[in-house]
Amino acid sequence: MELARDEYATHTAHDELLDRALQPRAAAQPLFDYLNSLNDGELAKRQQAVDATIMAMGITFTVYSEAGNIDRVWPFDPIPRVMGRKEWESIQAGLKQRLRALNLFINDLYNEQRIIKDGVFPAEVLEGSGNFRPQCVGITPRFGVWAHICGTDLVRDKDGTVYVLEDNLRVPSGVSYMLENRQVMKRIFPEVFRTTNILPVDDYPMQLYQMLASLSPREGEQPVIVVLTPGIYNSAYFEHSYLAQQMGAYLVEGSDMVVGADDIVYMKTITGLQRVDVIYRRIDDAFLDPEVFNPDSVLGTPGLMRAWRKGNVGIANAPGAGVADDKVVYAFVPEIIRYYLNEEPILANVPSYLCMIEEQRDYVLANLDKLVVKPANESGGYGMLIGPRATPEERDKFAKLIRNDPRNYMAQPTLEISTAPTLVDGILAPRHLDLRPFVLQSDQLYATTGGLTRVAMRKGSLVVNSSQGGGSKDTWIVEDAA
Amino acid sequence: MMLARVAENLYWMARNLERAENTARLINSTTHVLLDLPHGATFGWANLAEIAGLDDLFAKTYPEANEESIMRFLIEDEANPSSIFACVKYARENTRTLREVLPAEMWERINSLYLYVRQNAPAACRNRRERYMVLNEVIQQRHAIVGLFSGSMPHDDAYQLIKLGRNIERADMTTRILDLHSAISFPEDSVVREALVERIWMSTLESLSAYQTYRRLVAMHVRSNDAIRFLLQDMRFPRSVSHCLNEMETCFRLMPKSQQLQQLTALLRLKIAQHPTADLDAVALHEYIDLLQLQLGEIHDALLQNYFHAWRDGIPPSVQTQGDFEFAQQ
Repeated sequence: MELARDEYATHTAHDELLDRALQPRAAAQPLFDYLNSLNDGELAKRQQAVDATIMAMGITFTVYSEAGNIDRVWPFDPIPRVMGRKEWESIQAGLKQRLRALNLFINDLYNEQRIIKDGVFPAEVLEGSGNFRPQCVGITPRFGVWAHICGTDLVRDKDGTVYVLEDNLRVPSGVSYMLENRQVMKRIFPEVFRTTNILPVDDYPMQLYQMLASLSPREGEQPVIVVLTPGIYNSAYFEHSYLAQQMGAYLVEGSDMVVGADDIVYMKTITGLQRVDVIYRRIDDAFLDPEVFNPDSVLGTPGLMRAWRKGNVGIANAPGAGVADDKVVYAFVPEIIRYYLNEEPILANVPSYLCMIEEQRDYVLANLDKLVVKPANESGGYGMLIGPRATPEERDKFAKLIRNDPRNYMAQPTLEISTAPTLVDGILAPRHLDLRPFVLQSDQLYATTGGLTRVAMRKGSLVVNSSQGGGSKDTWIVEDAA
Repeated sequence: MMLARVAENLYWMARNLERAENTARLINSTTHVLLDLPHGATFGWANLAEIAGLDDLFAKTYPEANEESIMRFLIEDEANPSSIFACVKYARENTRTLREVLPAEMWERINSLYLYVRQNAPAACRNRRERYMVLNEVIQQRHAIVGLFSGSMPHDDAYQLIKLGRNIERADMTTRILDLHSAISFPEDSVVREALVERIWMSTLESLSAYQTYRRLVAMHVRSNDAIRFLLQDMRFPRSVSHCLNEMETCFRLMPKSQQLQQLTALLRLKIAQHPTADLDAVALHEYIDLLQLQLGEIHDALLQNYFHAWRDGIPPSVQTQGDFEFAQQ
């Protein structure tokens, strides 16, 4: 096993597995012992086996292009990302704290709006929010929880601090890849699971099922749970079907359901209509119910909102939960935590400049070459400006965009996000990565053990999104050495 | 409890897989019998497209029916919805929407079959030796899939629908292969003719894996009447039309609200049992087969109505129009 020493020589980011002297960190020591025990060429052989396994397992995602939709194999790097249990548990506590506060916040926004009245959260931000749904005002879903499933993106900066980059509260995806990555690793490197104490990740589907079941309006009866997918052409279709399969739920499309005049949701079965209790929806609010939102949507089911408002069906995440999934709202999360929980945030927020506030906007416009600028309501890394890497023309374009619609933009200093050794042409080279754990909330809170590690496969690249050439790694949370 | 859309996809997945295997068998046994044809005798390759009921489609794209063009058409041509590649591809697409109701390994198996066909179809079209190997592998992988179905799937409604799809497709293919005989014109010379007829019947039985069974259960010599009776009526042979119908009856008995479908299937099986097969000339055979195919089609339509569109009966009046609208879109 060989390190790309040239690349590491000029390396300034924090590396997850190697210290500055390029020695394995404590948590990664058993992994390196194992890798060093492999013969020359063995790793390359395993890599080929990985590719074949992924191909056969059909773990794919879809890329939209002009040439049609292409089903691409999920790029997977066989070198795992390793973290000690103690550090992970502190992050886990931070994730749960954050989601608890965000749910209190969402419920407050749709009801009393105490946080605005108390002057902690500006009314202008809410007014400018693209994801606030007036149709949801006055509703308190069961347990007061709106965002039942949250995918939180974490990165680690040069000094080792872990930051929350964003909270994905709408339809976060990727958890199936987290689960499948572990399956692939077990098939390819069975030996290493004997020598290292790697905590399992496979309780997620059960946890997800329990969370969804707790939303059923018919207590005491076996609930009928469905996963609502936009269909086979959605890039996350693999995941929708995977989760339905793992939970024993029904995978439905909008046209598989109808809402009766009785405001109850039914699905169309071979013996007629059957009541649906809980919908894990994987389509955006806008397409959920043409009676209430986008009237042209053919993806949703007319009447879902009627049924939900009446309490006849549970919907996760609740319509309107995305109001807190907004990069401007993000800047307020530390305050939100203090306000509702009376606790200090456990996880750090990246310092953020809001273009809606004049002096912060001026700072952003004067420092576009140093900052990352993000639109408030986009996801998947689209519509971003990475200042230091942008051309002067791109920066000018963004300056205009910001001046025209300041509420829609925020900026952050460019973090030097951490790397981990990644197999590139047979040697281990540093590649940037992030981590997306998944957090569940109903009457209980749960966070995955680790999460999905996404890695930018191209040298120097910071973009880890699968739609833009990112890959992934298995994430190991290991027992710390005594 | 099963979604109507899922049920429909299961049914089509099974039909597509069965069709892919049947086509592979047909090609292999035809190639095999060619090697035995007397010198000077030629084989009409176009017959193979005819069996599948695809002669018009074939003629549209290919100027000439020869071994190479027919093989490309039947094995790898995506524009032919019944080509092996297209069937496997559709089956895979169906399976993608079914992963949550199928055993976990099923997707991997069908995906592997798809990847195998995609990679090897060109070689299979190139020469006979590779063709035999590739198609044999397709058949074997299909068998592994059927084994997985029967061995690891709960025998629930999903399983019955798969079995229904498989058997209706199988019955349909058997009638099509029989129909081939009415489409061949044989030479005048009675000695050559008789030998040729027997050879072609042997190939027919072979393509249905029936030759050995026929010899054991019926006779050493293959005569048309016996072969026709065997392939239509013999309940012991798993590819005979009667056997397939019987399997379907059993499936329907285990499915909800299937009274009418049970009757329809039983009735057709009875008709076949009572229809004399002696003295059927080419024209009469063709007419009879036409009738059988129509009635299989009726069962198919009734099944569609009964299960895949069943939910429409239960829709409250207030949303009736919505249901109709969606149906019109599909």
